Amino acid sequence: MSAGVSVHRRSQDLLHHCAKAARSKVSGSSPSRAGISTNCGGDAVTVIDNIAERLGGSDVRMDSSGVQWFDVGDLGVRELATAMKACRARFVTITAIELPGNEGLRLEYLWDLDGQLLGFSFHLETNSIESIFDICEATDWIEREIHEGFTVDFVGRAYEPLLLREGNNLGVNLREEIR
Amino acid sequence: MSYKIPMGPYHPALEEPYKLDMICDGETVSDAKLHIGFNFRGIEHLAETRNYIQVIALMERVCGICSNIHTLTLCQAMEKLTGVEPPPRALYVRVVMAELERLHSHVLWAGIAAKLMGFKTMFMTCFALREKVMDVLQAISGNRVNYSMNRIGGVNRDIEDPLALLGMVDQLEREMVRTIIPIFTTSTTATLRCAGIGILTNEKAISCGVVGPTARASGVGQDLRRAAPYAAYSDFEFNVPVETAGDVRARLLVRALEIMESCRILRQALTRMPAGAFNTGDGKIVFSTGTAISRVEAPRGEVVYSVSWKENSRNPARVHVRTPTFQNMPAIRWMVVGARLADTPLIQASIDPCYSCTDR
Repeated sequence: MSAGVSVHRRSQDLLHHCAKAARSKVSGSSPSRAGISTNCGGDAVTVIDNIAERLGGSDVRMDSSGVQWFDVGDLGVRELATAMKACRARFVTITAIELPGNEGLRLEYLWDLDGQLLGFSFHLETNSIESIFDICEATDWIEREIHEGFTVDFVGRAYEPLLLREGNNLGVNLREEIR
Repeated sequence: MSYKIPMGPYHPALEEPYKLDMICDGETVSDAKLHIGFNFRGIEHLAETRNYIQVIALMERVCGICSNIHTLTLCQAMEKLTGVEPPPRALYVRVVMAELERLHSHVLWAGIAAKLMGFKTMFMTCFALREKVMDVLQAISGNRVNYSMNRIGGVNRDIEDPLALLGMVDQLEREMVRTIIPIFTTSTTATLRCAGIGILTNEKAISCGVVGPTARASGVGQDLRRAAPYAAYSDFEFNVPVETAGDVRARLLVRALEIMESCRILRQALTRMPAGAFNTGDGKIVFSTGTAISRVEAPRGEVVYSVSWKENSRNPARVHVRTPTFQNMPAIRWMVVGARLADTPLIQASIDPCYSCTDR
């Protein structure tokens, strides 16, 4: 089986499982006020365990901030976004971190599942990654901000100026020797 | 025939500069586009040139309304990187400051909303009330805007006589119950002006990832004080007001009810404040290499700080700030579509936007 097919199947499994978990969570959630279901509700820990299991097992660690970091392996960012959407996790932010020397950038995607932060880290060697704006519209502005600050190209989307004005140079947050 | 109406970047209805380009069919808005960046100061990049004391003062200036929240979130992240744990009294003082800041922010918003409704008397009443909260913040910290309260390992100043502040909380609550909440919730002026406009549906609120009162007015019931408690919030009883209508009135009601809950939290924090130190002293601070993430429920919603440090460095390697307005503002586009042009100033104000925060 090729790596591509394997990744696809794994993400399909993940999606299926998250959607199932989300459905059971919603039906079992206690409303915060009559007639209202909270965004996630239910047992987030179970869902996190399931996500970890489907992502390949044991590589989940909780850092001192209380964030559950998942090893994404070769799972693409779009598959991940689809899975997060299926389990009704709320998109929080993407943090771009410039690595020392010429090691490139790291993008940290954060989602919130019932108050628990889930973190997924992607290493960028080519300053390029697929956009998830069409899957998760909440990422629109942060993708544009990272594009302007760190010259990251989010493939598959168009840009309009966000914090910079038309004609300004991109890469305002990069170290001077790299800029 | 459709035509474009620009609102901003400098406009009487806006407290700070941003631009809303609206496509209108007659008096009805059919689409809108937002432009920000007029306050962009490059604060995140600047933070990398400041040491761990200077960076607190810098980040306090991200926002003029919730300045305390920014230093609280930053200090919580730096405490995770240094392994420093603030003493219990410091956590209570942090709660008191955060709730006083929420009170003054919500009352300020109520005043601005009243002004935009054309309800000038209410605007005066709200600002008079806000002044009383500001007086207490000044009495505690010595400052009216940038309080300089938070530090790594606690707070810089103690609240020497917490029970003396109870009178202010009682008076504030009385004023809220007697005048502001009844007028905002029952008066014909406020109801007709706010009900049914600027609707953000529950589905769209989830899809846009909006936070804070904007989300809770659309039936998304998350509040970090309850969902992921920080400081001493797990010690207190309070409710998280949620409305489902998703209109301007729902956002108004959520904030009004949150004022009452803030008074409730304040009363508990002031009466139960533990004795002891309010910070860990001036010992050496050693950072470990890594990234720490901290979240706080600001008056406008979730603030997220991601702080990276390298061991033996005095300066952070990266400080990323995700403010609530940054997440809430794109939803304005969906709120104004289908609205009357005359309602758009009030609709955009209903998320209590902070452009300084958003642009950083």
